[in-house]
Amino acid sequence: MLVLGLFGFALLIGSQALAPLALGEGQKVVIDFGLAGSMMLATLLAVFLGSSLLHKELERRTIYSILAKPIWREEFLLGKFLGLWFTTAALLLAMAGILALVVTVGYGETPWAIFGAVGLSAVELGIVTAVVVLFSSFTTPALTAFFGISAVVVGHFAEDLRYFASHGAPVVVRWITESVYWALPHLSVFNARGLAVHGTAVEPERMLFATTYGGLYIIGLMVLAAAVFRRREFR
Amino acid sequence: MARIDRDLLTGLLLASLFFWGAARSELLERRKLTAIREEELLYYPSGYAVRGAAMGYETAAADLAWLRGIQYYGEHRLTDQKYDLIGHVMDIVTELDPSFVQPYVFGAFVMAQEMKETERGLDLLERGMRANPTNWRLAFEVGFLHYVCRHDYVSASRYFTWASRMPDHEPYVERFAAFASQRAGNTGMAILLWKQVLATGNEYMQEVAKRELQRLGVR
Amino acid sequence: MSQERDDSRGRPSWNAEFLRQGPMQEVAPLPILELSAVRKVYRDPMTLKPFTAVEGVSLSLRRGEIFGLLGPNGAGKTTTIKMILGLAKPTSGMIRIWGREPRDRAARTRLGYLPENPSFYDHLTAREYLSLVGSLFDLGAAISRRRADELLARLGLKDEGRKPLRKFSKGMIQRLGICQALLNQPDLLILDEPMSGLDPIGRADVKQILREERRRGATVLMSSHVLAETESLCDRVAILHRGRVLEMGEVKGLLGTGVMEWEVTVEGLPDSVAERLRTEGHAVDTIAGRRVIRVREGGELQRLLRAFGQDNVFIHSVEPRRPSLEEHFVRTIESAS
Repeated sequence: MLVLGLFGFALLIGSQALAPLALGEGQKVVIDFGLAGSMMLATLLAVFLGSSLLHKELERRTIYSILAKPIWREEFLLGKFLGLWFTTAALLLAMAGILALVVTVGYGETPWAIFGAVGLSAVELGIVTAVVVLFSSFTTPALTAFFGISAVVVGHFAEDLRYFASHGAPVVVRWITESVYWALPHLSVFNARGLAVHGTAVEPERMLFATTYGGLYIIGLMVLAAAVFRRREFR
Repeated sequence: MARIDRDLLTGLLLASLFFWGAARSELLERRKLTAIREEELLYYPSGYAVRGAAMGYETAAADLAWLRGIQYYGEHRLTDQKYDLIGHVMDIVTELDPSFVQPYVFGAFVMAQEMKETERGLDLLERGMRANPTNWRLAFEVGFLHYVCRHDYVSASRYFTWASRMPDHEPYVERFAAFASQRAGNTGMAILLWKQVLATGNEYMQEVAKRELQRLGVR
Repeated sequence: MSQERDDSRGRPSWNAEFLRQGPMQEVAPLPILELSAVRKVYRDPMTLKPFTAVEGVSLSLRRGEIFGLLGPNGAGKTTTIKMILGLAKPTSGMIRIWGREPRDRAARTRLGYLPENPSFYDHLTAREYLSLVGSLFDLGAAISRRRADELLARLGLKDEGRKPLRKFSKGMIQRLGICQALLNQPDLLILDEPMSGLDPIGRADVKQILREERRRGATVLMSSHVLAETESLCDRVAILHRGRVLEMGEVKGLLGTGVMEWEVTVEGLPDSVAERLRTEGHAVDTIAGRRVIRVREGGELQRLLRAFGQDNVFIHSVEPRRPSLEEHFVRTIESAS
């Protein structure tokens, strides 16, 4: 709630301050910054909340009495994942709503296209959350946060990595990079912010492909996380 | 709840410290020569690396560069009227967000009109046209520059006509297409074009338009 | 085995059929909890040095008994309990709960667990936490709520149901811990230090509750170092030390039915005599102006009493003392070290 309030406030102030400087492009700037800001905020929240997700339970030992109950380890982990994902996605959606409101009030037209982009961003958020849950099941919060952020960076760089590696690198490096490339989440698939700001809606085929790809990737990560967590012992 | 409040308080404290620090350094900066400040603009990477650095937030990064570019222009308008880096900045903006039309238009305008580098302006606009083939505005601006700066009425007419065939164009495009082909008097046409800029351009372009109209003897 | 003749119509009688199949196997009831040669070796993640927490522990719980797992800190009690709960995996050996693996979900529906120094989600209220536990057991909201109310009342937390857990004292958390362990009316209760954090009244309450559970037919495995209370509560105990079971059996059996020693309280005993008694190996203490002499052997007692009688030492009292579980425990540990 607090975060939403701050976001809305920052957006309003920002749009008032920046719009006149943008030489008529105020609406674009507000939408761009609104989308970028809300996604960054939601991603950071996912990483930092998620990084201590399991660690907190282990440290406080609240997990002992829960895991002794008739619950699969996988259920527990899935519950954590879904809780985190829905929280951050809901926050993202709320921020998008505030953005739409600010733009409607300030510029008279409602930027419906942003909701398509936000939908894809929510799937991207799911992938980031799954990465964080995976790492939090076996390493420290600090490392989990690091890997979470790295996943976001690398995910956007996936294409570039391949491009850079394919030029003048020895075959072994190229081979490794190819396989790493395929394993990485290609987060650029979920980036429809550019389209949204120009008022273009996301094509249904892309929506379908991205959601399926994201869904499969998330399932893959969660299966891995469950396998790790199942073997986990508690001292 | 108490724990969250404490964190919030710490966060606010840190934020205000940060802003205080930033404001102070900003004040310090202003005392330095303008030239030194702009070195930063030169360090904006260009090309492929720019998109990579933006990491999913390309359009927002484009906006940031756009705002910086406007700021740069505004400062130099008040001082030496030299806008050497405007091309570079607008290149960055359009590299990050190729469908952002205004930077092509404004950049070309400044380069052609204020710096008398019409060719560079046209290059920028043509890049924009390649990235946005169905955009009428870019074609129109190319025509505008051909007419007003290069006095190449044939090319101007051709581009105005092209623009008039693009979807969602403004009605005045057809008028200019018609007049240009009729060559209804150079000055008269130029006045009309500048009056159009006065009506639809951003505030900087409007000021240039006023200046030009004054020069042509209007008002 | 003689064959019964076929009946008059030539078809085999039911007896013949029965005999043909051979004698029936006796169906033995599944032991509630069984540990067999359980071993747990931890490896230090940095130095890779192995540390044996539990070595060769075997035990078997009978239905309706209260079993005490005793031992000093670090003896391996909590590790053993964690292995039973599936929170850790034995390096070797076997653990079965109703014949099932510890991680088996079905086994855990009939189990109740109270961890050592328990901690629960402190942003929830007591009722909310119990309702969460109820949902984990698929109890149904109404049943869950009813049982939660009953248990809260039974554990003296009736008015604290709506209080968030972060406002609970250690004793209250401990009592809530017992509530959540009993919510599913478990047939097997596993309690790690159930008395910790409780005042004497609290401890008496818990003892009462455990006895009630035993009467209900539940089996209890508890670990403790509060031996004085364990003695009166447990049917059988196992004494653990450095991961091994030193002794296991009924409390009475371990302590022996014989009298361990007598305490002779006298007045007017000269110091020299007291000194002499000490050098002979008797413990002599002075309490409230009187001397208390501990005598271990029947014959020795008779000799002393006669001596005191002759010397006109005023004999205030002679009390037989059976060894307490605590004393036995300390002696067992010391002799093992």
